Amino acid sequence: MSVKSDSNKLLVFGVRVVAFSFFPLLWFLSQAILFREITNKIPRPLLIFLAIVVGSTFIFLLYAGMNRIISYAPKNYQEGLYGAMFVGPAIFLLGLFLFYPAIRTIYLSFRDKWGENSVGFDNYTWAFSDKIMQITIRNQIIWLIGVVTLVISIGLIVAYVSDKLKKGEAIFKSIIFLPMAISGVGSSAIFKFIYAYRPPPLTQIGFLNGLRVTGGTDNLGNPCKNNIFENGKKIDYVNDGCTQPIGWLQQRDLTKFSTFENVRPDDTLMSWFSNFPLNTVLLMIIMVWMFTGFAMIVFSAAIKSVPAEITEAGRIDGASEARIFLSVVMPYVKSTIVVVATYLTVSVLKAYDIVFVTTRGDFETNLLAVKMMDEFSKFLHFGRASTVSILIFVSVVPIIVLNVFRNKEENSL
Amino acid sequence: MNYSQKWYDKPVSKLILITISLAWMFPYIGFVLSSFREPEAIKRAAWWNSISGGEIISEFTFQNYNEILFAENLSRSFFNSFAVVIPSTIIPITIAAFAAYAFAFIDFKGKDILFLFVIAMMIVPLQMSLIPLVSLMNKGAILFGLPIIPELKITGTFVSVWFAHTGFGLPLATFLLRDFMMGLPRSVIESAKIDGASHLTTFYRLALPLSIAGVAAFATFQFLWVYNDFLVANVFLGINPRNQVITSHVAQLTVGNYGEEWHLRTAGAVVSMIVPLIVFFSLQRFFIRGLVGGAVKG
Amino acid sequence: MRKSLIGLLLILSMVAVACGNSLEGEEVLYFGAPATDSPDGIAIQSSFEQFTEETGIIVTYVGSENFESELLAQIEAGNPPNIALWPQPGTVRAQARAGNLIPLEDLGVDLDEYRANFSPYLVGLGEVDGVPYGGAHAVNLKSIVWYQPAEFDSRGYSIPETWDEMIALADQIVADGMTPFCFGMYSNGATGWLATDWMEDIMLRTGNGTTSYDQWVNHEIPFNDPIVKNAATYLSQIMHTDGYVVGGTDAIVSTFFGDAQDPMFERDANGNPGCFMHRQASFIPGFWPEDAQEGLGTETTFFAFPDMEVPSDTVLGAGDMWAVLVNDEATQEVVDFMLSENYFDAIATNVAGTGSTRISAHIGFDTSKYWSATTQKQADFLKAALAANVFRFDGSDNMPPEVGSGSFWSEMTELAVQGPSYIDSALDNIEKSWP
Repeated sequence: MSVKSDSNKLLVFGVRVVAFSFFPLLWFLSQAILFREITNKIPRPLLIFLAIVVGSTFIFLLYAGMNRIISYAPKNYQEGLYGAMFVGPAIFLLGLFLFYPAIRTIYLSFRDKWGENSVGFDNYTWAFSDKIMQITIRNQIIWLIGVVTLVISIGLIVAYVSDKLKKGEAIFKSIIFLPMAISGVGSSAIFKFIYAYRPPPLTQIGFLNGLRVTGGTDNLGNPCKNNIFENGKKIDYVNDGCTQPIGWLQQRDLTKFSTFENVRPDDTLMSWFSNFPLNTVLLMIIMVWMFTGFAMIVFSAAIKSVPAEITEAGRIDGASEARIFLSVVMPYVKSTIVVVATYLTVSVLKAYDIVFVTTRGDFETNLLAVKMMDEFSKFLHFGRASTVSILIFVSVVPIIVLNVFRNKEENSL
Repeated sequence: MNYSQKWYDKPVSKLILITISLAWMFPYIGFVLSSFREPEAIKRAAWWNSISGGEIISEFTFQNYNEILFAENLSRSFFNSFAVVIPSTIIPITIAAFAAYAFAFIDFKGKDILFLFVIAMMIVPLQMSLIPLVSLMNKGAILFGLPIIPELKITGTFVSVWFAHTGFGLPLATFLLRDFMMGLPRSVIESAKIDGASHLTTFYRLALPLSIAGVAAFATFQFLWVYNDFLVANVFLGINPRNQVITSHVAQLTVGNYGEEWHLRTAGAVVSMIVPLIVFFSLQRFFIRGLVGGAVKG
Repeated sequence: MRKSLIGLLLILSMVAVACGNSLEGEEVLYFGAPATDSPDGIAIQSSFEQFTEETGIIVTYVGSENFESELLAQIEAGNPPNIALWPQPGTVRAQARAGNLIPLEDLGVDLDEYRANFSPYLVGLGEVDGVPYGGAHAVNLKSIVWYQPAEFDSRGYSIPETWDEMIALADQIVADGMTPFCFGMYSNGATGWLATDWMEDIMLRTGNGTTSYDQWVNHEIPFNDPIVKNAATYLSQIMHTDGYVVGGTDAIVSTFFGDAQDPMFERDANGNPGCFMHRQASFIPGFWPEDAQEGLGTETTFFAFPDMEVPSDTVLGAGDMWAVLVNDEATQEVVDFMLSENYFDAIATNVAGTGSTRISAHIGFDTSKYWSATTQKQADFLKAALAANVFRFDGSDNMPPEVGSGSFWSEMTELAVQGPSYIDSALDNIEKSWP
């Protein structure tokens, strides 16, 4: 009996090893070598064809093969082995592609510029004492709070409200979802066009500055307009008294606005408000615009799973719409909110494109991911770049904890 | 039917929706309009003034689109994109669906810890793992003196981009699909098990078809990300124009080194939006119906 | 039997042909920052057309906005481009130190001839421990001020030859109700470089001229030395005197440097231009609106940066530099060609029609080949300076990146925003950041 169970254990261990490493490795290597060998040997159209067909289907062989092996294992061990088989390839690939680089990054964060000598915690001291780094961390916090709350609340409102419509639901949702189809670079270009600044007396092609310079009159009583020709006469905004355009993405506070121009230093409230980081918020809006569609779709699905009888019952009892939303709908979507918040937090911490193509971190708009790339490719400081990347990694710990609780809660259900 | 709805519910909801939709559409309007205006006209007059002044009609031109759509080798880049995008979408989804099923329905040792590992891996910044990953695909990996991956030299081939995108897309795909499958009725899966169906059969016959909406939704997300990306593609496929993907090609065409070439930027952005929009609208019924088990629970 | 013999002969002759010209069809990849299809990228590609026709070596230029990070990845991936073109020579030296570059000597370059053709000063910018890695390529001219002669003449203004004359002219223009200077230094991720250029031009003409300039760049005098402070005060005079710059002091940091001169081409309701003078490098016409570009050399031209405390012929410039990452025969051929006198022919004669304003760094290059008279004039200027060793390369490009593309830029931006009272803090901060 014990001999048999030992050999079973050995078998199970063997199958586990096969599931977690041998098979995925075999798949990885064979696909890699296959395509490496054919890439320059077969005609291009055939390569594209094979890439699409073989590249997409090869993976199924992996699971079919593993299933075969497990069927030889003793019945009562199969449950655990299936777990290993189903999860194995994912864990293997994550370990190879993400965990391995992460470990290397931790190691590098304690090394000097080129990774040659150990410098202890120097890079970490720098990360928290450097002025630019402090501002970068502040911006990251603003983005985290702003994007997560705005995206979740707007997404939730649209999902809930559009759910009650009989017609037009698809149209509204499509409009909100559309920005998902555009790359970060494309979206940033669209907003750069809105925020654009050109020096006077040029025509303001950006919408915000166009609004700003239009209207009112100059000191002589002539109207201020955005370089419009009326009856062959040009009406511009350059005379004294007209509002001048501003570089929106260069405004790190509000001191250029008339309301805040002459704030007395002892007016604590006003001077606190005048520190509002306008440009950071304007950039953050781009991300909100891009990601609300995602949140809306996920919430809308969760809301649809709320049994209609319950909400109807609430309405018959005369409960207000807000009350129904809070006490009936919310419990259903609570877990979904955690999912969306997790995803958003991760996306914000990784956010790179928007800042890279608009300001690239100038005027106190930097974010951690951009700063990391700057340290890496501009200043060639691999140690500091790694440290910034560790900061990004550590920032997500609270979200992981949140998910642990959610996990426990669900398992106990 | 909605006898209990208050009289103001509908107008108020419509008002909220219309306001938000207009705000969301606004950025497009000027952008799309400008893509049809002459280069000098864009700089001479603001787009809203050109509408109110009526010049928009005389300025109308396809010239900007001609410059992009008839660029040399654009179709080659287009095919490259498909060779990159399709496997890079299917591979991670397949692997993630299997893993998600196991996390949702199979009891095995170390499940919780492995799941947390998956979540933790979501945050590894793409930019940081690019270099180690590139070096892995070129020189292999050595762990404690043991070569776990041999020298492969696969950078510059499609397969390296698939692996890279698989790595970057996998954690989120697993996370979302697991959440989706948790929403499936457990009783259905349990009863299949009692009937003696193996996990593989249950996965193919039950779990996968029931979660098709979730799979389709994530497929769309992954498709859009891979299609819109060109950093990963440029890094792994190399900079040889033979391997260029469409978004990278369009970006090259629209970047003037001399400031903002708005007429090309706008037209280029519209061109690169075409494929994502086709994908979006053909799969949108899955979204509009809902992501999380709408068909089962609702 | 006969057929197969003929076939064999055919194959043999084909092999012979292939051996005779073994570089036919070899590909050489050339990677740089200007985008492939941008005017600069097209001009670079056009310079190899003739070469490809003659040798059969296919040179492909590729550009990318993410040039630096993509190049690092390509090096790590083991398939770097054969040749890369860096916007700053400092990076070439850093890459050479990291062991990623191949010394020019190993590529069969005659170093003595190379130094003679491109001046020891320029070659020295790409050297590490006396070993040249970088290939000098194109240079531009920075010590110039753009203006419109017709606007000057009609108002009786004359070209200022000294700083004081320039200030007097500026005051005159302000008194006449107009704005003297165009000044815009916004540049995605590099905001502030225009102010560092001004600083360098002033440094070359104040203190001990080129001597103190070299000391400053090499950090032999501290960044907050009185000589540097004096230069910053001069610059602040331009940036912070009321009415001197378009849109006021606030506009300096908001205006994209490429848009900065546009007000000069615009006329207000009274027919006055938005500004009269713009100190910017020789490449700026590429950023002008199309109709303004047509007036290059006639409607809009340039005068030399005015003399200051130390009168001299010093000229400030900058330029890019290439280096080789993969050594093979075809690349050696390309390198030979790029260092030859006629490499610049296609760019100079504007074959691609993109109106390139690049200037060859080759001292022997025949300047009469340049398509535009303005470029020709600038090239003559540069050639004389190079030969007389009074050409100085953009100092910030030669400082460590932490300063040259870090604190120097950001503190100059801060100075523009905060005003003259910030000069001391700006210089102290830069000094502190020097590694």
